Amino acid sequence: MISTRLLMPVFFIFVSIGFLIATFNLPKAKMGDPNAPIYFPAVISIFLLIVSVIYLIREWRAKRKEDEPLKRLKAGRTPVLIVSTLVLGLIYALVFFHLGFLVSTILFLGALLFLVNGKSRWLVNIVVALLFSLASWYAFSHLLNISLP
Amino acid sequence: MGVDIQSLVDGLMTALQPTNLLWLAFGGFLGTVVGMLPGLGPATAVAVLIPITFGMDPTTALIMMVAIYSGAMYGGSRSSILLNTPGDGSAIAATFDGYPMAKKGQAGQALAMSAIASLIGGLIAVVGFVLLAAPLADFALKFGPAEYFLLMLFTLSAIVSLSMGNMTKGFISMSVGLLLSTVGIDLQSGVYRFTFGLPQLSEGIDFLVVIIGIYAVGEVLYNYLSIDKPLGKKKRVGEKWITKEQWKRSKWPMIRSGPLGFLIGVLPGAGGSIASMLSYTTERQLSKRSDQFGKGAIEGVAAPESANNAASVGAMIPLLTMGIPGSGTTAVMLGAVIMLGVKPGPLLFENDPNMVWSLVNSMFIGNILLVMINILLVGLFVKILDTPPKVLYPLILVLAFIGTFTLNYSIVDFYLLMIFGVIGLFMKMLKFPIAPLILALIVGGDMEQNFRKSLVASDGGLDIFFASPICIALIGLTILSVCYPLIVNGIKRKKMRTQHKEWDM
Amino acid sequence: MKKFLLAASLLLTLTACTSPNAGGSSFPVKNIEFVAPASPGGGWDTTARAMQKTLDDEGIVKKPINIVNKPGGSGEVGWKYLKNKDAHTLAVNSSLLITNNLLGQSDLTYDDFTPIAILATEWEAVVVPKDSDIEKAEDLMTKLKKDPKSLKLGVAPGLGNDDHLSFVQAAKTYGVEVPKLDFLVYESGGDVATALLGNHIDAATMSVSEAKEQYKAGKVKILAVSSKERLEGLEKVPTWKEEGVDMSFPHWRGIMGPPDMSEEEIAFWDEKISEMVKTEAWKEILQNNEWEAYYKNSSETKKFLQEQNEMYKDLLNDSGLTE
Repeated sequence: MISTRLLMPVFFIFVSIGFLIATFNLPKAKMGDPNAPIYFPAVISIFLLIVSVIYLIREWRAKRKEDEPLKRLKAGRTPVLIVSTLVLGLIYALVFFHLGFLVSTILFLGALLFLVNGKSRWLVNIVVALLFSLASWYAFSHLLNISLP
Repeated sequence: MGVDIQSLVDGLMTALQPTNLLWLAFGGFLGTVVGMLPGLGPATAVAVLIPITFGMDPTTALIMMVAIYSGAMYGGSRSSILLNTPGDGSAIAATFDGYPMAKKGQAGQALAMSAIASLIGGLIAVVGFVLLAAPLADFALKFGPAEYFLLMLFTLSAIVSLSMGNMTKGFISMSVGLLLSTVGIDLQSGVYRFTFGLPQLSEGIDFLVVIIGIYAVGEVLYNYLSIDKPLGKKKRVGEKWITKEQWKRSKWPMIRSGPLGFLIGVLPGAGGSIASMLSYTTERQLSKRSDQFGKGAIEGVAAPESANNAASVGAMIPLLTMGIPGSGTTAVMLGAVIMLGVKPGPLLFENDPNMVWSLVNSMFIGNILLVMINILLVGLFVKILDTPPKVLYPLILVLAFIGTFTLNYSIVDFYLLMIFGVIGLFMKMLKFPIAPLILALIVGGDMEQNFRKSLVASDGGLDIFFASPICIALIGLTILSVCYPLIVNGIKRKKMRTQHKEWDM
Repeated sequence: MKKFLLAASLLLTLTACTSPNAGGSSFPVKNIEFVAPASPGGGWDTTARAMQKTLDDEGIVKKPINIVNKPGGSGEVGWKYLKNKDAHTLAVNSSLLITNNLLGQSDLTYDDFTPIAILATEWEAVVVPKDSDIEKAEDLMTKLKKDPKSLKLGVAPGLGNDDHLSFVQAAKTYGVEVPKLDFLVYESGGDVATALLGNHIDAATMSVSEAKEQYKAGKVKILAVSSKERLEGLEKVPTWKEEGVDMSFPHWRGIMGPPDMSEEEIAFWDEKISEMVKTEAWKEILQNNEWEAYYKNSSETKKFLQEQNEMYKDLLNDSGLTE
């Protein structure tokens, strides 16, 4: 099996090529040098490509060594936590304007607390979620005058 | 405009009036608290607290705003040190050594040192303001597009030197930052680059969203990796005051960083992020114990803290002497004082000297008050560390989302926040240095635009980059900053070929 | 009579089905929202907050008014948001509403909304450093006519805005080859002023308020202003008209509502805003910000926006930004 070490360098190579293609598809400037907006991103993407290839070569040489860092991603309940947090964040973003700040934040914070802190401490979770959301809502919308939905 | 002792004393009397003192302390306190929240840096803090100043006497209002400004600078580094989540670009450098110190159980000392360093940097800058405001304003005017480009280049080279020993990853991180800086409307041509048709992206990716994403969200995700491990020993706060030895080590870095930060702060558009980063790299290169930097060296907290606070005082010079805001924060302040009927401009010093000198004195007194506030609060701040992590992490996440929302009031930023959170997680796991990405994102746009402006101004000739003494000096510094660590590294390698050190930030 | 009104309003409520809560003689029925399509601190935000403050402090509008900041896309984010709201939401606008669309940067334009009012305006100025050998607008234009690249011009924060286009209009009259001009684009008016004071650019076009304090201190020379008559505090500065260019170029700010507002809702705002612009508080805000009263009611605004659209279409073609 090819070592997971190569994933990152390959990812960056794709990023740089993607940017390079996007760069050459940029619209031309209507005044002055028509290519002016293109030079800088083009140079940087080519630079990123070169460095990524060097990175790839380095990792290729080290491929026999165990890939420690990425292994930790799979340990214990870490993957569940990370994915759930992101999904909750996504839901929060989607309902933010519909439910308003207060309700959505109580739900988001509550869900995160149950996820991370565990069900056994439900009382703490609920109290913290309610108090913290209320306090931050009051602080932001009343003391700081920030318009919240 | 020179120093007129009489005006200086009059200003001191105004600043010492009880109402002004009260608002000064109150503004400083509010600024500190708001500045601690992720994403709420000085500019936002001043903007959101402006309504408080409605109906105030203009001098008092300006004093209050300056207090909020400095307070937010202090506050920004609190969260850097305690939670590794800087609130603003200028507080990033405080994470490099502040957070490792907190991890080692020296949070109290790091906080105390950061407050002292801020005070010293601030005081040096106020003195500089009194003596040098007029010549410095002229000096700042000498910076044309070519000079700005070279200053940004110098900053980038300092960033590169930061990733010494980990060059490949440092360069990748920097290039990604530079590429991200090209997103949005290209000022010189009006062309939209990489916005995917989203109007929210047309003004570019807000670097604060990236900071909050990578540092705050990324940090929480990263901590998930070890969340169920039994807490070895309880994180200790340690001493709340610095030792004599720490003071001795930090004394000169603070005194050197003050003027450096002040000078960079005077330049419109440069500001705290560049000042603190340059002072950090300078001290690291000058230090005999540079291998300790990044692992909790107290000088690494002292230098950038002194520089960024000095920069915030320096940023007032273009505003007060020319009526030109040199930074986002001073632009907000300009808008606010105009509403109050003050017309900042080149004539402010002549028309309203009392206001200017009261303000200068308030900056002086404000810094002393802020240090007292912050040292009194050290005990309270470190209580944050006593919060069980499993409760703290969700709270940081929620604060990160709220802080992000206050930047642009946009949901698109929530998605960006999560994307950069994941990127931050991977960067931390794979030991990619983060600072190059953020700083490249901050300076990249200006660097490109100034390069192109220079070429338009010179009708395409490259000679403009060598045309002034400032240019030559900046080129020299850039070369020095790249070569110096290489030489030092070369000597070190010869001395001990044994191991290759990688250090992460 | 009352019964008739009631019936009429009921009818209106029924017909105005897009906004079920709106209509009716009791408009507004809930809190009012002003959209500033920018972050706190900028011109649009200042306009929105100035209106909120005056309408509220003077008791002109009884319902609470909230400010919503929706920055992004030179206003587009905020205006998109307005489009799906009912008549309780209004948004601040400026010529960018028109030029964004003409430049192909936005699908929205002025006739996607209900014009309510033009509130105030600033004027544009052409400025050179104090030790420049250019003394008159004519000198500047003659030089540019001979060689459009001979002078470096500063503008902020983007091509196609009023600062840029007012200059284009003047230059065109003198027969300058406008698309060949060298513009250095800065991020803010402050940056342009700094560049001008440091002699990094030869001339700049900016709003009068950005130039006035520097002019008073003798740091810059103002060659011409785009107003119809000479301005207070700048009595020695000629207008473009006196310089032989037949133009007056306002840099206006206005306010508009979502599409399909009822007659009655428009009438409500016409009444309230015309009352607002007469108050001392409003006049003081205008003066502090160096704005000039430029009030136009909803029907005048409608006509004005149409004329502006035509004018900008021509100007953008002349500037070389559109074909």
